[in-house]
Amino acid sequence: MSKIAFETRSVSKFFPGVKALQGVSMQMRGGSIHALLGENGAGKSTLIKLITGVYRPDEGQLFAGAEPVNFTRPHDAIAAGVGVVHQERNLIPRFSVAENMALSQLADRTIAPIDYAALNEQAEPWLDMLGLDVEPATQVSRLSVAQMQMVEIAKALSQQTRVLLLDEPTASLTPMESKALFDVLHRLRDDGVSMLFVSHKLEEVKEICDTVSVLRDGVNAGENIAMDNLERQDLIRLMIGREQNDAKPRHGRSGEQSVALELKDVSTSLGHKGINLEVKRHEIVGLYGLVGAGRTELAKAIMGAAAITEGEVLRDGQTVEIDNPTDALHGHRIGYVSENRKDEGLILEHSVLENAGITIWRKSANRLGWLTGASVKKRTVPFLEKLAVKTPSLNQTVGNLSGGNQQKIAMAKWLAAGVKVLIVDEPTVGIDVKSKAYLHELLHELANDGTAVLLITSDLPEMISLADRILVMDEFVIKGDVKNTGDYKTMSQSVMEHIHHTEDELRRAKAS
Amino acid sequence: MSLVTSDARKPVRGPELMRLLLTNEFGLLLLIVVFGALFYSVSSGFLSSFNLNSMSRAAAINVMIGFSMMAVIATGGLSLAVGAIGVCSAMVCGWLLQEIGLPWPYALVAAIATGAALGAINGMIEVKTRLHSFIVTLATMSLFFGIMIFLTQAQTYRGIPASFVSFGRMKVMGLSATLGPTLVVAVALIVLYNFTRVGKEMLAAGAKPQAAMLSGVRVGRMIVLAHAISGGLAAIAALLLVARNGAAIPSMAGQQGQDWLLIAFLGPVLGGAVLTGGKISVVGAFLGAVLVTVLSNGLLLMQIGDFWLQATLGATLLLAVLLDLARRKFLERRAQ
Repeated sequence: MSKIAFETRSVSKFFPGVKALQGVSMQMRGGSIHALLGENGAGKSTLIKLITGVYRPDEGQLFAGAEPVNFTRPHDAIAAGVGVVHQERNLIPRFSVAENMALSQLADRTIAPIDYAALNEQAEPWLDMLGLDVEPATQVSRLSVAQMQMVEIAKALSQQTRVLLLDEPTASLTPMESKALFDVLHRLRDDGVSMLFVSHKLEEVKEICDTVSVLRDGVNAGENIAMDNLERQDLIRLMIGREQNDAKPRHGRSGEQSVALELKDVSTSLGHKGINLEVKRHEIVGLYGLVGAGRTELAKAIMGAAAITEGEVLRDGQTVEIDNPTDALHGHRIGYVSENRKDEGLILEHSVLENAGITIWRKSANRLGWLTGASVKKRTVPFLEKLAVKTPSLNQTVGNLSGGNQQKIAMAKWLAAGVKVLIVDEPTVGIDVKSKAYLHELLHELANDGTAVLLITSDLPEMISLADRILVMDEFVIKGDVKNTGDYKTMSQSVMEHIHHTEDELRRAKAS
Repeated sequence: MSLVTSDARKPVRGPELMRLLLTNEFGLLLLIVVFGALFYSVSSGFLSSFNLNSMSRAAAINVMIGFSMMAVIATGGLSLAVGAIGVCSAMVCGWLLQEIGLPWPYALVAAIATGAALGAINGMIEVKTRLHSFIVTLATMSLFFGIMIFLTQAQTYRGIPASFVSFGRMKVMGLSATLGPTLVVAVALIVLYNFTRVGKEMLAAGAKPQAAMLSGVRVGRMIVLAHAISGGLAAIAALLLVARNGAAIPSMAGQQGQDWLLIAFLGPVLGGAVLTGGKISVVGAFLGAVLVTVLSNGLLLMQIGDFWLQATLGATLLLAVLLDLARRKFLERRAQ
């Protein structure tokens, strides 16, 4: 086995009133990828901050190789060869790729003029090494999310990094982009770089990681275990401390049900053409596609937030015209759980009760528009409880809750509203395994109770475990309709066949 | 409630009292008392019945002006036209009383309706053109005021009924009776923002328009409504001013009503309103305006030269805000 590149030995970190980490040990070896798993709030971020010198451990010791190290600031960690690619992008959008990569060096020279040609030249080899085909002088804001990710890795590597921490690097990548990233990580591994990989997507963790450490409530639940011996189930058990049953594929209960929502030859102002789609009561219809395929846009058009220019929308068999989301919700009982929780799904600076109640204020108010907390609570609390929302109080600001809890509230408000058609857009992005399972169960239950669900997700395993049928969308057109057999292998193949040509096109676009 | 399963890993909350002391409203109250005591120690005339009366009358108007701005801030906008709308409404009232001879209750209602209508025009322009309210109200401020000057030939209406003027001079328990309407409006606003659907929807629309829209809130309507409420409140403020002056004067709020702007922003902002929308405090805006009134009154009483009054007022306000910030930081640290 290769040498240890970085090690934490029984490190602890305390905050006022909170034990964030206690006695956590972990070894990262050269030329290997180490997974760090844990639910939201298990202490992963704190551990990363210790390793990168943002925090100092209250107990225990860090070792770079065999040397004990004490980082007092992030700069020390960089000097020791530790680099990090953060979950939230840390690039300056208006600066060029090369400028971003050299930012820490530039900061050391206060008034010396910057030699841009030299900067670009220095950046070039790193970009080449990652197979990133962009000019170093390109402004970062013009790159795709995946390219930005690569630039961050290039930036870390250019600082002589031998220990690279990747915090949820695939959270906003398409499957294809993730694959490209993994190729790069494999290459770095062969070069002897030691990597720490944090992700909620267990499939990819199993695919690319060699060893794994698991945190649960701030302590080690697993330490440097070889990945070969572990199944997905084992990982989940380590993370949540109990068995977790995967949601089973649904079986067509929806055959003879009436159609709740139907689109006939619909075109929209956003660019959709000839969309035909129907969702029956008791049915979960999946809408699969790559990022930018037009799925979210279609959802918004159905909700009345964008104009439908041609074709018909039918609700329970009746042709309807939905002019705005108010109409969709109160007139036609259609709801939409947005993929963009922060900007569209919730009002983060408002309280739990205000967020959960927003869809039912109209219903709860008396004729004078008078509205009491009690009447709103009566209609929302049962759903918040059902979803096991964890909050110190109903007046808690939603922005202070964990991502999983936020998503549950974003869902609860539509359940409270009693919608009959629910469009759910990427319901489990960035939330932990336990909340994810909860939400999956809930969607099943909703459909069983008669709600028509249109599910948009880029997570194919999720799609296959939930949907009855899968519609494949690409470039604002529906390319295919696949019945879900529940078998991952054949399903992913037939779904991918429908969008396969796109990959070719993308490759061509990249080459040109 | 079974839902409330407090997270054991979160820091323990301070007691209720501590939370009360941490509020913005308490800080303002404290500052009002501190400055009041300071001014009283320098000049005993500060708490004379004459000064209390005139201070409370000024406060009644200042609070109302602050509310008028707050209504728009709630939806994430601002209105530079509050002064212009106020003066226009007051002039409509004066004209109806003097030239038409309408009974004064009708004239008051008509004036408030005028204010609300002018405000609604601002809101509609903002929603239709999607311009920022800053630009829209900058334009309509001049527009409204200009039209008013043209129509009235800049004349003052003095034919205000005695009963209306005497209300402006009436005292209740040593304080001006004009505080009455202000308190009624304050209570109405508290009810609006806490216990009605539209109030809550206005705040939601202000905090995150996109999220509110997708949750079924008619954001455009809420913005128009907020501007209309703002216009109506500006009209009430101007009417209180008419009652005090005994006349409707085109220049009663300075050129284009701009003299109102400083106080209009200071009340709500000191009171804890977030300028990007979605969070306001009626009680805070009330106390904020009272604080500003106390400061300007006290400084005048100390016979600081007119030149220095504005500068001292500005500096004192800055200091007050910084002190408040320091107080909250200190208490927060202790609460941990």
